[in-house]
Amino acid sequence: MSEWAAAVNQPAIHSEHLTKHYGGGLHRPGHRGGPIRALTDVSLDVEAGEIFGFLGPNGAGKSTMIRTLLGFLHPTSGSATVLGLDIEADSVALRRRVGYLPGGMAVYGSLTGHQSLEYYADLQQREPVRRAELTERLQLPDADLRRKVRDYSRGMRQKLGVIQALQHDPELAILDEPTEGLDPLMQQAFYEILDDLREAGRTIFMSSHYLSEVERVCNRVAIIRAGHLMALQHVDELLARRKRRVTLRWRGAAPDLDGVPGIGDLVASRDRITATLSGDVAPFVRAVASPSLVDLLIEPARLEEVFFEYYAGEDGDLREETA
Amino acid sequence: MSLRILRQTLYWQRVRLIVVCLVATGWGALIPTFYTTFQDLFANLIEGGFPENFLNFGSGSLFTLPGSITLGFEHPIGIGLVAIFAIGAAANAVAGEREQGTLEVLLARPLSRRRFYASVGAGVKIAVAFVLAFLLLGQLISILLLGVDDEVNIAYFPLVWVVGLLMWGAFAAFALAASVSFDRRAPALALSLAYLGVNYFFEILGTFLPDLEWTQEYSLFHHFNPGEILTGNLDPVDIVIFAVALVLPIIWALVVFPRRDLAAPA
Repeated sequence: MSEWAAAVNQPAIHSEHLTKHYGGGLHRPGHRGGPIRALTDVSLDVEAGEIFGFLGPNGAGKSTMIRTLLGFLHPTSGSATVLGLDIEADSVALRRRVGYLPGGMAVYGSLTGHQSLEYYADLQQREPVRRAELTERLQLPDADLRRKVRDYSRGMRQKLGVIQALQHDPELAILDEPTEGLDPLMQQAFYEILDDLREAGRTIFMSSHYLSEVERVCNRVAIIRAGHLMALQHVDELLARRKRRVTLRWRGAAPDLDGVPGIGDLVASRDRITATLSGDVAPFVRAVASPSLVDLLIEPARLEEVFFEYYAGEDGDLREETA
Repeated sequence: MSLRILRQTLYWQRVRLIVVCLVATGWGALIPTFYTTFQDLFANLIEGGFPENFLNFGSGSLFTLPGSITLGFEHPIGIGLVAIFAIGAAANAVAGEREQGTLEVLLARPLSRRRFYASVGAGVKIAVAFVLAFLLLGQLISILLLGVDDEVNIAYFPLVWVVGLLMWGAFAAFALAASVSFDRRAPALALSLAYLGVNYFFEILGTFLPDLEWTQEYSLFHHFNPGEILTGNLDPVDIVIFAVALVLPIIWALVVFPRRDLAAPA
């Protein structure tokens, strides 16, 4: 837990009934076709020192939430604090302690990578204490940093974005689609950086399309649909309630799975059974443990299934008809 | 104000600023030369029955050195040179960053929108100040080289610069107000150019059509007359008009910009 959090014992992000509706103004999004309820009544706490995943498809409200927390958007109603500071009244002060990576970050093509990082660090008014470590781990060497950013590939720009967000060692990093454009090796390096930040007591709030990524790095996850918070749980708890897919093969007498708790969707053939399994795996393992068992495969429950469950049958349309 | 943003704004404009300042010096030097070379020709044209109002240009004319100096500022070339920064750079200052998506990276820092506005605004106005200074410098050098410095009071040149800065500062303030009000640079630039164009149209219209001379009163250009200032005839009302035209857009920007929702760039 970081020093401030230990001192004040409060969540890194706290929102209460946070709501953002667009519409009405001539130059505001949604002025055509009625109001947009981008965020409705979102209440959540992100604890200090955790990696928090924010999941949802395009247009679900992820970026709206992030932009509201950072003061780019003004909430229609509700309130929120970041690191104990009110997002409206203390917006400037809180941004000094936060690192932010926007989705599809735009860059100044005429600056070199090094000039860009210097510019952002100067404006942050904090020493870029992690820059050297990050450039090394994300493999953005000096030779690349001396080149104009306009010559960077998409992946290199994303690395630059990650570095600028984390170089000043912020207490809270808000990352919008952080691994977009990174190759698998760099994604892995990025996950390790996140693990280290968590160990150092930093808080990460990240949105992502990649469920495997959220599953890999996040402690807790929130799922948002059409601006509404649908789920907010520990990843492990969320997965524990899901059904695993099991496949077993045997030689001789088939194992008796009747009465095994959590077993469903049984499909048996001559020497193979497939089924779904929820809850505790121990009774199942005990039931199938016999010398006739040849092979047993238990596929882990995936966050993807949870995600699709929440979105099944929904078109995710945020737009409402005008009155 | 953020000195870092100001420094970066000027850094990005440096090449353009140097080029425009050099051209402005040349243009400034050309005007007194034009006056001394062709004043007799124009006088003969008038005597020959050529309509005098067609040799005037706004509040400027080609018959006197003060009139020529005014014409140098009101000619499309003079206006174009200053407008590169007062309109172009100003309209682009916020809306351009917003359109390309870099504004949110900057505003994710501990930097209020008002501070950002003040910083880029200062950058624009410094650039305008340089262009005006070099335009006047060109005129001054030319006047001294041609030996016509007895026709104006060159001690008033700094005052011309200050009043010019007020007028162009008002145009820049309008363009900046447009810039903070739009998410794209095109509408901000179009609105700013329209404002400049209307002012210019009102000033020129009255020149060519004496019946519509009253329209000139509604043009900022009409209230900036370097020739009059150089002969010691500065009207304090003009300063008040510029101050109002400068302050109103600034108030608009300071009120509107922090209250705007900056949604994710498309």
